[in-house]
This record gives sequence, C-alpha cells and structure tokens, in this order.
Amino acid sequence: MNVEKREDPGMSEQERQRAPTDEFAMNTTGSMDVAPKLQSEGLRAFFGKNEALHGIDFSIRPNKVTAIIGPSGCGKSTFLRCLNRMHELTPGAKASGQVLLDGGNIYAPKIDPVLVRRRIGMVFQKPNPFPTMDIYDNVAAGLKLTGMKKGKNLDDIVKNSLQQASLWDEVKDELHKPGTSISGGQQQRLCIARTIAMQPEVILMDEPCSALDPIATSKVEELMVQLKGTYTVVVVTHNMQQAARVADFTAFFYLGKLIESGPTASLFEKPREELTERYLTGRFG
Amino acid sequence: MDLGMDKLTNLLLEMGELSQQSVAAAMDAYKAGRSAQEVNRWSNKLKQLDDQVSELAIELIARFQPVASDLRYIKASLEISYGFYRYGRYAHDIVEVLETFGDLTKCEHTLVEPTAEKTKEMIKLSVEAFAKQDVELAKKITAMDDYVDNAYRDYIKKLMKSRHVDLRCALSETLILRYLERIADHAVYIGNSVIFIVKGEEPAYAEKN
Repeated sequence: MNVEKREDPGMSEQERQRAPTDEFAMNTTGSMDVAPKLQSEGLRAFFGKNEALHGIDFSIRPNKVTAIIGPSGCGKSTFLRCLNRMHELTPGAKASGQVLLDGGNIYAPKIDPVLVRRRIGMVFQKPNPFPTMDIYDNVAAGLKLTGMKKGKNLDDIVKNSLQQASLWDEVKDELHKPGTSISGGQQQRLCIARTIAMQPEVILMDEPCSALDPIATSKVEELMVQLKGTYTVVVVTHNMQQAARVADFTAFFYLGKLIESGPTASLFEKPREELTERYLTGRFG
Repeated sequence: MDLGMDKLTNLLLEMGELSQQSVAAAMDAYKAGRSAQEVNRWSNKLKQLDDQVSELAIELIARFQPVASDLRYIKASLEISYGFYRYGRYAHDIVEVLETFGDLTKCEHTLVEPTAEKTKEMIKLSVEAFAKQDVELAKKITAMDDYVDNAYRDYIKKLMKSRHVDLRCALSETLILRYLERIADHAVYIGNSVIFIVKGEEPAYAEKN
C-alpha cells in the first residue's frame, strides 16, 4: 500500500489558505479566540409550566461544527430550536433570555422570526422533501416564496445548492423527478440543499442521520465537515461517535443544563465533569 | 465493554507479576552464578501476553469505540503491556549474558547488586501503581530513575579510566547495568501511563529523563 500525504478534501484552496496551520492545536484550549457566531445568554425554554432549559450560556464559533450531545429529554433539541426561534412554534412553548446572532438578539422586539429562520436554517431528523414537488422545486421552493421567478438565477442557485449538498452529480439528469423518489440519504441531502438555497449563515441539524443507513450517514457527515467552510453548523446527535467524528466542539447537556463544553478531542478524551465521564462511558444512572 | 476492560486488566496484572518474577530470577541467577532457563520461557510468555493485550485493545476500540477514561485506559494499557514485556525481555538478555560469560560470582558485584535492587523496587512500584491506579506511587518511580542511570553512566566512566580491567567482568557488568537502566526507563514510562490514566495527562517529557 502506498501512503501519501493527502490534502483535506473538505476545503477549497481559498479555505486552505485562510485555515490555521494546526487547527487541532488551536482547538485544544477551548477558549473563545474569535467572536461567536451564535451565543445564548441565560436561555430558558418552557413547555407550558415545565422548564426544559435552565438558563443556558453557550457560545458557538463561526465556521465550525458544534455538536450537542446528551441523553433523551436533556433539552438538546429544544436548545437547537431556540436558536432559530422554532421553539415558539410549538403550542404553549416559550423562551426567555437572549440568543445573539453576530451580537444581535434574535429575541429582541420587532425582530421578524421568519427572517431569523432564513439566516439560521434547519435540517430535521427525518428527511422531509415536499412530496408534491420535484427535486428542482424542492430546492427552489423557499426562494420562490420570497418572490424569485424562474430563470437562470434560480437555476444557478438550485445547481449550486445541490452541488454544495454533494447531490448534484447524482440528480442532475433527473431534476424533475419527485423529491420523494430518491433514496433516504439523497432526500436528506436534498433537504440540506433546500436549506442552503436560502443562503443561511448557520445550519442547525437535529439528528440528521438517525433515519439513514451507514453509507448515507457517512455522506451526510462528510457534508457537514465540508459545509463548515461556508456556514456555521450546529448538530444535535444521539450518536456520540458521530459527534467525535464531525464536530470541532461538543457540548454535553443533562436535565436542561449545559454540563460541559469544549473542543471535541479533549471532551472525549478527558472530560472535566464526572457526569460527562459517566455519560460518555455508558455508566449512567 | 466492562468485561473486556476487566480482561485487559487481568492480562496486565498477570504480565506485571510474571515480569517482576523474571527480573528477580535473572538477578538471583547472576548472584548465584548459574543460569535461569525458566526466564526465557517467561519472556516468551510475556510476548504472547503483550500480543493478546494489543489484540484485545484493538478489538475494544473497534467494537465499543470507547472514550474518556476507558479510551485513556486502553491507550495506556498498550504502553504498560509493552513495558512489562520489555522487563521480561531484558531479564532474558541478562540470562543470555550469564550463559555467554559463565559464572560471574568472582566479579565485583558492588555496583550491579544495589542497582538491581533499586530496579526491582521500581518494577514493584510500577506494578503496584498500575494495580492501585496510584499516582503518588507512580511519581516515586521517576524520582528513583536517576540512581539507575547514574550507576550505568558512572560505571562506564570508571571503566574508561581503568588501565587494567577483567574484560569478562567489565563487559558482563556493562551489559547488565545497561539492561537494568533500560528496565528502569520502562518503569518510568509505566508510571507515566498510570498518571495518564488517572489525570488525563502525562508528565512533561523532560521529567521522564
């Protein structure tokens, strides 16, 4: 077997030039050396009277993959949905505290949550392409709603989004087949393309691979790593190995509290908190 | 996973005991002026056990993808297992010296014997530190390393200044002191691995030497 030094395929030439020479070394301290892209301050979330998040202070770095892990019911998905104001869409749900996007509070009065969700897109657990639309329209749907007409501009965005979602080569000759006719893994990448088409700054992913087989999972994981070159990615996952594989930073939630966060390698090798240690090693409860 | 980890621990404890026994038997043979064929057998057994530890460690990583203290334990177990195997291998090398040079009871033992005692103490500490996961015991090993290093170095310097030496004694003692010095280094590495398991970081490299 020949072993040659290989470049990181996830980075463009431009990204490689601006990347630090030793990204892992930079990450070992976990200190916030850049302005956070997203930041929650005293974030509390409620379902009726039940408090699901108890004042979360957490910063998310730009152009990194941040994973949120924790047992079922720990509030990780609720936290994710608070980051783009989707939590409040659930009847009886509300949130308090602040979420800052580039320093601006997305919960401030007069902020339009629809615009927030355009800047902070979301991919869900189960691939959910619009069943009545073809592949092309699934990607273009959001833009059409904003008033964009059919034409070369839209075609370019659809193509570009599918390319960024690593799906273009697989569907370029069948853009007018129903979105639901492709495989589950392809459907999930189609949903990612749909999110990308809105040109968000942050992509939230709520267990994006839990309904996928290992091969489709691997493609989506590769995609997450590629996407961080352009976007800030936050992923909620039950799969600790997935967090270990794709995330630059990982946060551990338990019973609605942020227990510990830090660079993924150090959190997985040397967690600071006993609770994290017990969760990671499966000696919980 | 826990069953696998227990098996790993048991293999390492078995290696610790056998390697300790091997070095003690080799040095007893040196003092008594005889060979110790059983050491060669034990050395081979230690190699087999080291291979088993490696296989089990890889299997645990592949099957359970351990993290946190489990991952540190498995990583450290590879170093510790190798250290125990090397104890046995150097014991085998000492026996080979005895077989090559014959009875060495006439040689001056004033440096080799106390150095061997110190080295055996380091081995005992390394086995105990691992068994008890005791950082304080592990730190003691490093503090003892200079004694063994200096014994080897001083002996070489003394030989270089000597005009008349008994070549048989000089060569055999140089080799044995060298093997003891290497065993002591492995004891330090094992101690550092114990510290890594418990605290998540090894002492700075400079502290090892």
